[in-house]
Amino acid sequence: MGGSVRPGRLIRMAQVAVPSGRATARWVSWDFVRLRISRIAGIRDTIFDIWAACSNILTEMDKKKAIDDTEPGPAPSRVVDRFGFIKPEQSGSPDGLPKGRSIHDREREERRIRKWRKMIGVGGSDWKHYVRRNPHVVKRQIRKGIPDCLRGLVWQLISGSRDLLLMNPGVYETLVIYETSASELEIIRDISRTFPSHIFFQQRHGLGQRSLYNILKAYSVYDRDVGYVQGMGFLAGLLLLYMSEEDAFWLLVALLKGAVHAPMEGLYQAGLPLVQQYLSQFEKLVMEHMPKLGQHFVEEMINPSMYASQWFITVFSYSFPFHLTLRVWDVFLYEGIKIVFQVGLALLRFCHDDLVKLPFESLLHALRNFPEEATDPDVLLPIAFTFKVSSRLEELQKEYQKGPESSSETSSIKRHQALISKTMSRGGSRVISNLTADKK
Amino acid sequence: MSGRRPATWEQAGDEYDYLFKVVLIGDSGVGKSNLLSRFTRNTFSLDSKSTIGVEFATRTIQVEGKTIKAQIWDTAGQERYRAITSAYYRGAVGALLVYDVTKAATFENVKRWLKELRDHADANTAVMLIGNKTDLAHLRAVAQEGAAAFAEREGLSFIETSALGATNVDTAFETVLTEIYQTVSKKALASDEAASSASSVGEGQSIQVSAGDSGSLTTRCCAF
Repeated sequence: MGGSVRPGRLIRMAQVAVPSGRATARWVSWDFVRLRISRIAGIRDTIFDIWAACSNILTEMDKKKAIDDTEPGPAPSRVVDRFGFIKPEQSGSPDGLPKGRSIHDREREERRIRKWRKMIGVGGSDWKHYVRRNPHVVKRQIRKGIPDCLRGLVWQLISGSRDLLLMNPGVYETLVIYETSASELEIIRDISRTFPSHIFFQQRHGLGQRSLYNILKAYSVYDRDVGYVQGMGFLAGLLLLYMSEEDAFWLLVALLKGAVHAPMEGLYQAGLPLVQQYLSQFEKLVMEHMPKLGQHFVEEMINPSMYASQWFITVFSYSFPFHLTLRVWDVFLYEGIKIVFQVGLALLRFCHDDLVKLPFESLLHALRNFPEEATDPDVLLPIAFTFKVSSRLEELQKEYQKGPESSSETSSIKRHQALISKTMSRGGSRVISNLTADKK
Repeated sequence: MSGRRPATWEQAGDEYDYLFKVVLIGDSGVGKSNLLSRFTRNTFSLDSKSTIGVEFATRTIQVEGKTIKAQIWDTAGQERYRAITSAYYRGAVGALLVYDVTKAATFENVKRWLKELRDHADANTAVMLIGNKTDLAHLRAVAQEGAAAFAEREGLSFIETSALGATNVDTAFETVLTEIYQTVSKKALASDEAASSASSVGEGQSIQVSAGDSGSLTTRCCAF
């Protein structure tokens, strides 16, 4: 492995390979008996796969370092990026690894980790105390990004999931082993379609896929009203890359049931009420913060449901570069859903001058394919934090909940439908001018 | 005249005679997104992500000498998502209703999808039933004859496709777009006759369109 392996990285690799001793011992699966027999072999294979992938990353990092230190040469062919995503061939996409990291950068990173370790204490023992005494320091540090090797632990501390886990011993195990869910087939169908390009979830019936299945099934039993909804898998999958199955389950519970922030289960309940509300709030914020662009959207009949549903439903984990997703999640877990609005606004602000010029189709394309520069967290997040949205979001929520009867405006959904309908028939108007032209 | 059209309707090099909005619907996992990517980009991905919300793509084809642009909305298949996706049925002139030939349940649900269309889409929407994944011949669970007979009873066009093998995908889209075109041009013709005899325009909506320098003209809206 070479001497360049930092302790932090080793810890994280170990977490990825085997979530934790406890979870492994309790680990159950689709076909309990069959998989129990093949379990040891399965884990060993997965560990081997990930270990191989990780060695690959480190070797490539070393190679890259050597190249950086000497002269520019052809980029080595890489298998996975630093987060475990399999890289498309000849991809020029960034993997969040700063090019030519200097010794200075590495030293700074190590200082940051030491600072974080002090804040957290052993196994998180000092965390609550520290947060109470220095809430602003914590907020600032989290906005800068949680060190990757401590992310899993810190996420559990700031989301309140650690407490849920401790208060509910044995509950997860029961949900996984003894309960059956009406959503089992639906979940299985989506398992291989969740982070399909991540090495942890690639192997059919591998550890990643089985853990993902277990969490989603357990949740669908835990909250039968929500059950399983597409999109939840991306939340669970993201968490599984940083913690054990059981820890990830309780973090999902903390989010959807609202352990620290407002519950998010409305994103997935029948009618997707919270998606509708967030989209309506977002549309209004765009109009208020970027009136020119907001007006352009109205003229081009672009509705937030056409581009932003995924932002809210998966908290930016569906289609954005992973290093951005992680930084958004750091803030999301500490500060709540408002960061999704802020990052959404920041994306629009960053591309504002281009977007206002684009017609419907290119506009929609641009809103689903932001340029690489726009998705750099160190560029995007500072812009996001300039949007002060908390109190306005509350007002807009009250306005929205009053409903269409008491509001002078039609409800978002009705306007949405009318808009889309109009968009659809615009083609018709177009046809007419052509027919007329033909006749002339 | 084209120079006077609002810039938003087209971009340079993007000329077309007709623009049709089409929706892709059907149960989750039947291959809607791959049918779309096969038709619009000629690509197929074995490990694609499940669709969250709606996706969008376009392709331009020639039908009877006319350039037709298809604007296709691909929707999430899970029932819960209809809260968002059903809004996209309205105003669509065509719908591709997809099931998976290897999963009988996805065919059984076709009736529910048709009801969904009847509730939210316009009555004239051209609907094509598509049995996808014919490349998995050894796993077939829905017979072609049965599906064809069902489609005939319901007045739908029908075709079997394989997005993976690129079989019949273009044909499927071309068929539904041609069907829409023919309905539209028949309507246009009927309305022409009606207009020339100075009577009111039939059931097709009559709208005012300011068309370039020719001023205000009473014409027909072709998006049903």
